[in-house]
Amino acid sequence: MLIIKNFSLSLAHKTLIKELNVQIDDGQVVSLMGPSGIGKSSLLNFLSGTLSPGLNAQGEVFLNDVAIHNKTAQERRVGLLQQTPLLFPHMSILENLSFAIPAKVKKCDRLERAYQALERVGIKDKANATPEQLSGGQQARVALQRTLLSEPGFLLLDEPFSKLDPALRREVRAFVLAEIRKANIPALLVTHDAEDAKAMEGKCVDLVAAE
Amino acid sequence: MPLKSVRFITWLVALFLAIPVLVGLVGTLLPAFHYFPPLGEYHFSLTSWEQLFQNNEFYTSLKLTLITGIIAPIIALWIALSLLAWGYQRAFFEKIEKLLAPILAIPHAAIAIGLLFLLSPSGWLMRLFSPWLTGFDRPPNWITVQDPYGVSLIFALVMKEMPYLLFIMLASLHAIDARKSLEVCQTLGYKRLTIWRKVLIPQLYPIIRMPIFIVIAFSLTVVDLAIVIGPNTPSTLAVTLFHWFNDPALSTRFIASAGAIALVIIIALVMLGWELAHCLFTRLTKAERSNGKRAGLTDYFLRLGVVLGLITLSSAFISLIILPIWSLTRRWRFPDVLPSSWTLSNIERAYPVLLELSSNTLIIALVATLIACLMSALMLETKRLTKQTKNHPFDWLIYVPILLPQIGFLFGLHVLLIQINLNGTLTAIIALHLMYVLPYVYLSLKGPYLAYQEDYLMQANRLNNRPWFNYFFIKLAMLKPALLTAFAIGFSVSIAQYLPTLIAGEGRYGTLTTEAVAQAASGDRKQVGSMALLQAFFPVFVFWLAHALPPRWTKWRLAIYLRVKKCYKQIPTNS
Repeated sequence: MLIIKNFSLSLAHKTLIKELNVQIDDGQVVSLMGPSGIGKSSLLNFLSGTLSPGLNAQGEVFLNDVAIHNKTAQERRVGLLQQTPLLFPHMSILENLSFAIPAKVKKCDRLERAYQALERVGIKDKANATPEQLSGGQQARVALQRTLLSEPGFLLLDEPFSKLDPALRREVRAFVLAEIRKANIPALLVTHDAEDAKAMEGKCVDLVAAE
Repeated sequence: MPLKSVRFITWLVALFLAIPVLVGLVGTLLPAFHYFPPLGEYHFSLTSWEQLFQNNEFYTSLKLTLITGIIAPIIALWIALSLLAWGYQRAFFEKIEKLLAPILAIPHAAIAIGLLFLLSPSGWLMRLFSPWLTGFDRPPNWITVQDPYGVSLIFALVMKEMPYLLFIMLASLHAIDARKSLEVCQTLGYKRLTIWRKVLIPQLYPIIRMPIFIVIAFSLTVVDLAIVIGPNTPSTLAVTLFHWFNDPALSTRFIASAGAIALVIIIALVMLGWELAHCLFTRLTKAERSNGKRAGLTDYFLRLGVVLGLITLSSAFISLIILPIWSLTRRWRFPDVLPSSWTLSNIERAYPVLLELSSNTLIIALVATLIACLMSALMLETKRLTKQTKNHPFDWLIYVPILLPQIGFLFGLHVLLIQINLNGTLTAIIALHLMYVLPYVYLSLKGPYLAYQEDYLMQANRLNNRPWFNYFFIKLAMLKPALLTAFAIGFSVSIAQYLPTLIAGEGRYGTLTTEAVAQAASGDRKQVGSMALLQAFFPVFVFWLAHALPPRWTKWRLAIYLRVKKCYKQIPTNS
């Protein structure tokens, strides 16, 4: 369970977000909507520990009742999925997947896990292909699997569907929701698209400009 | 790179860049004012300057330096601009573009030697037209190369500098959006060359100012090229100074040092004059630009430049073709167009020498370039982290070694090498090469490195937190094409170095370049041809690798992986 308590964001004395409170249960996706420039991405950066220094953010974050807002980005066990899949172009799909598996998992087990992930995407034959040989939808799904393989404590989704065409989008959304439920971790989705929020079947937080 | 204490590293690297330059300058400046403890001179005086100004050779060689060093960059710039204006975005021009990188990679000494073989009275050009046209049965007693006016030197300089300028211009064109300007002006009815003259060249100039200054500094100070193909007795100032520095009478060092300082001042003055001339030129042509004429007589300047450019490019190619011909020649009498008998024995005979020279050359080039690549990555990473995009100290410090005359401050640096007992070692040669390789590697890596999408590395660290591992195997691995190109450029710069090898190595380590230059005048064209050929071969080969490897790398790596790794086989791919 992820809890965001009293999150406030301001840029040069201009308040963008004021005292936001969100609670996300395991296996649930909460959607966050609002106009551009309101600070949605900054909230994600705050959660993942990569907030740029110019911004002033306050608030507390608890993952399974453990405070994580004081931890470094690496210790937070955060998984982030962005607009672009960011698959490493110089590695095969299989290598991309096994890259994310924690080091404690031993050699042949790693491979098996990676293959299972491939199977979930439904492209077992593409194990040794490079990312550029995959379609956009396949790349998005591999990117999700890769993030989940790193065993994150919670998941942040930064408009991951915006670059897909409409038909694919529906398919990928369903895939993402199913996988998050399977992984049973809290997820926060930032989006412009009301359809995205609806498809996630969870709460939807609408950010409006603060006074 | 997960760097801590960025400021500290910035200072350290800046010091590392500045110290050799400062030591070199001080090491030249002090003897110029007669202060030189190794020779027991502890008192400052102006005697070396008086001697310099009374020396006739100084004035004659200065005159030659100014003639060649100013005319060559002007012609090179003129031809490069003409070729660009004429050929930009035409299909056949892309072929010329592809030839530029290999021409740039070839050490200038190799091209100069080829040019010597082409233009000398017994050269290929004369053979092609003899005796049927000229009536000569034996080489005429003309002075066609190493002429006292430096014409052949200017030709060789243009041959080297024009492709470099053209290359830089092509790389900078995206910054001024040339294609759109061309389209807009063409719809207004302007002729192609006029558009370039009135609209594009004035925009392009400020971007390529620094490369032009590099070219000017090179023309004014080059030693090896001038030894091979320039006038001798008197030679250009740089060559004269080189002889003075090497004079067995150590006291000549004082006047040589004064001359070297004079050369630094001359470079600064010429650059200043160049900028003033540019301002004046802009003022004079400003009114003409907006007079509404869609074509003009001055377009013919560009047309003439194109013709000269094509002649220059083809001479460069012919010069390179002569090298392998000479290295395979057994008998080649004068008016014959081709050798009458061929042989491999030249190469066999020279094999032990060539092997030693090549291994020296390659060790120096590989080590220096590898260090330069790592240092460039470190410098660019600190630059990225400081987020100070403009006027970062590295960006101007890096130019200093290229803009200063090698003659002069290398001899000053040599004193330091003696002090720390490194003179005549391979380490010293590599260190001096590094000083000249680093700027080119840094500048060529800068664009792609800073444009790298950092999101990939951040995602990698989120997925698997191994910052150093990810830096090398994600970021640097993704920058492979840029890194390899930078490596190829650095490698070719190192292969071409003449003075640094000679001064740091004190002649104990010969490279292909030092030997080829030393023997260029010897008349043994067969052996010199082999050396120059190898000298040209290595950089071109590395450039080819840098071009051919990156697109295939991952495919090949995966193919090998599949054969070797057991685990991959245990789980069948088609089940």
